[in-house]
Amino acid sequence: MATVVTETRRGAAIPACLFAWLLPGAGHLYLRRTAKGLVFLGAIGTLFVLGVAMDARLQMSLGLDDILASLFSLAQMAIGVPYFAARAMGFEAGQVTSVTHEYGNTFTAVGGLLNILVILDAYDTAVGRKP
Amino acid sequence: MSSHLVVLLTFSALVSAVFAMLLREDTTSRVRFAVTAFGAFVLSAVIVGWIMHPFPS
Repeated sequence: MATVVTETRRGAAIPACLFAWLLPGAGHLYLRRTAKGLVFLGAIGTLFVLGVAMDARLQMSLGLDDILASLFSLAQMAIGVPYFAARAMGFEAGQVTSVTHEYGNTFTAVGGLLNILVILDAYDTAVGRKP
Repeated sequence: MSSHLVVLLTFSALVSAVFAMLLREDTTSRVRFAVTAFGAFVLSAVIVGWIMHPFPS
């Protein structure tokens, strides 16, 4: 019986991680951890929205010529659909002359990095390592 | 939102909330952790800013 429960949870791990990447907190909502999911959605979502409002740069840079720019883009992309939606809506370039440009970059990148931790937490929850 | 202090407080509050939910399991511990982390963020930023103040920009 315990084996069945474990296998069922492992089966939920992949969709939980996928949902968690697509939208911050969605993985926990899928696993019925509503409070956690809503806090993650609210806090990380607010970080990203404020970052975009503060003229963050959302350009995708994935080459090896500028490793730091690539890592920065990967950090932003970790926030999932909101990143690609913001790019599609024309917030890609940001505004480098804006006073809050660097703040915006920090908010969006930290939001993505926090979402990586949230994805790992969703995995641990799905396989039963965390309540 | 161009005030440095408001940005600092907002960032600290949001990141502290996420870490509290990730690292603690019950409500009391989460609130205590979030308040401590928030204070640590703000205090360390003020101290580092104060130390850096004499340096030329």
